[in-house]
Amino acid sequence: MHIPDGLIPPSVCISGYALTGGMTWYALREIKKDSNPQANIPKASLLTAAFFVSSLIHIPIPPTSIHLILNGMMGAILGYYAFLAIPIGLFFQAVMFNHGGISTLGINTVIMGLPAIAAYHLFRLRDKVPRNRQFWTKVLAFASGAFALLLSATLFAAIAISTISPDLDAAQERNAIYLSLVSYGIQAIIEGAVTVMLIAFLEKVKPELLNI
Amino acid sequence: MKNWQVLLWLGLNCMAVQPALAHGAKIEYGQAAAIIIRATYDDGTPMAQAQAVVYSPEDPTTPWLKGMTDEKGEFTFVPNKDVSGNWDVKVRQSGHGSIISIPITEGLIASEEKPEIDRVELLSSNSDLTPLQKILMAAAGIWGFIGTALFFSRNPSSHQKSVRQ
Repeated sequence: MHIPDGLIPPSVCISGYALTGGMTWYALREIKKDSNPQANIPKASLLTAAFFVSSLIHIPIPPTSIHLILNGMMGAILGYYAFLAIPIGLFFQAVMFNHGGISTLGINTVIMGLPAIAAYHLFRLRDKVPRNRQFWTKVLAFASGAFALLLSATLFAAIAISTISPDLDAAQERNAIYLSLVSYGIQAIIEGAVTVMLIAFLEKVKPELLNI
Repeated sequence: MKNWQVLLWLGLNCMAVQPALAHGAKIEYGQAAAIIIRATYDDGTPMAQAQAVVYSPEDPTTPWLKGMTDEKGEFTFVPNKDVSGNWDVKVRQSGHGSIISIPITEGLIASEEKPEIDRVELLSSNSDLTPLQKILMAAAGIWGFIGTALFFSRNPSSHQKSVRQ
C-alpha cells in the first residue's frame, strides 16, 4: 500500500510531510524520556531491516499478491522508535526498489506510522491484565498486528479514494479499491499471526526486549 | 385520414431524422505507428483492467485519451504524429500505478540507442532488475541495518578502554 510518486496532488504530499514532521518531533520527545535511548537502537535497526525486506516478499493471494508491511509488529515491539524506523525503511524501499516514492515519503509514513503507534498503545494494555499474562500477550500481539494493518489499509483507501484524479473513471477506481480491502483483510490475519510468532518467541528467549 | 394529413405526417418524419442522402459506407485504412504500454506490478503480474490515461505534450493536464489495459496489462495507442514531445501515460488501479513519459518525435519513439523500438514498458516498479540484483541490493541494505545495530550494541566500557589506550 505504498503510494507511488505522481499519483496524488502536491497538497497531499506536503501535508503528509508536515504531519510526519510533527509526529517525528513528538516521537523523539517520547524517546528522550527513556533512561538510555541508545540501548534500543540495535533492536530498532534490526526490525527496520525486517520491515525493509518484507515488502519484497510477495505472497500470492488471488486475484493479486500481497507483501507484508509489519507495521503493527514494529509498533508493538519498538513503541515510538517505530515512527523513526518506518520512514527510514520506506526511504530505502523508495530509492533502491522504486517502491513508494520520495515525494510521497511523508504521506506513506503517516499511513504506516500512525497505526504502528496505535498498535504500541494497544499492546501496552498487557501491563494492565492482572493474570494469565502469557495468554493475553498473544491475544494483544495478534490484535495489534492485525489492527495496525487494517488501519493502514483504511487510511490508504481513504487517501486513494479522495485523490482519484478527475481524469479517471471514479466509480470503477473506487470499486477496485473496495475489492482490494478484501485482500487486506486476509493480510491482516497473516500479519497478526507473524506478530504473535515473533512476540511469543521473544517472550521465551529474551522477555526484556518486550518492555519498551 | 385525409391526404394532406398523411403528407404532413411524412414530411415531419423526414425532418426529424438525419438526412441520409447516400446509403453506401466506406472504410479506409492506413498504417500508423502505435505505442504499446505494458503495465505490471513489481512482482511481474500484469496490471489487468487498469485505467490508462494518455496526455499529449500540447496539454499535459487534460487527458488526450482514456482506456483500459487488457488481460496482459497492455494498452495501445496511436499518438498524433504532428505533436512531438513527451507523451505521458498514467496507469492506475486501486491506488497503485505509475506514470511514464515517452519522448515521441513524428510518431516514433525518440531514442538514440534503439530508434527501432516500438515498445515501452511501464512498470509500477523496477522489473528491469534481475532477481539476483534485487537480492544483492536487499542484502546490502540489510547489512547496513545490521551494521547500525552492531555499532550501537557495542560494549561502552570496551569503547572507553580503546579510547584511553
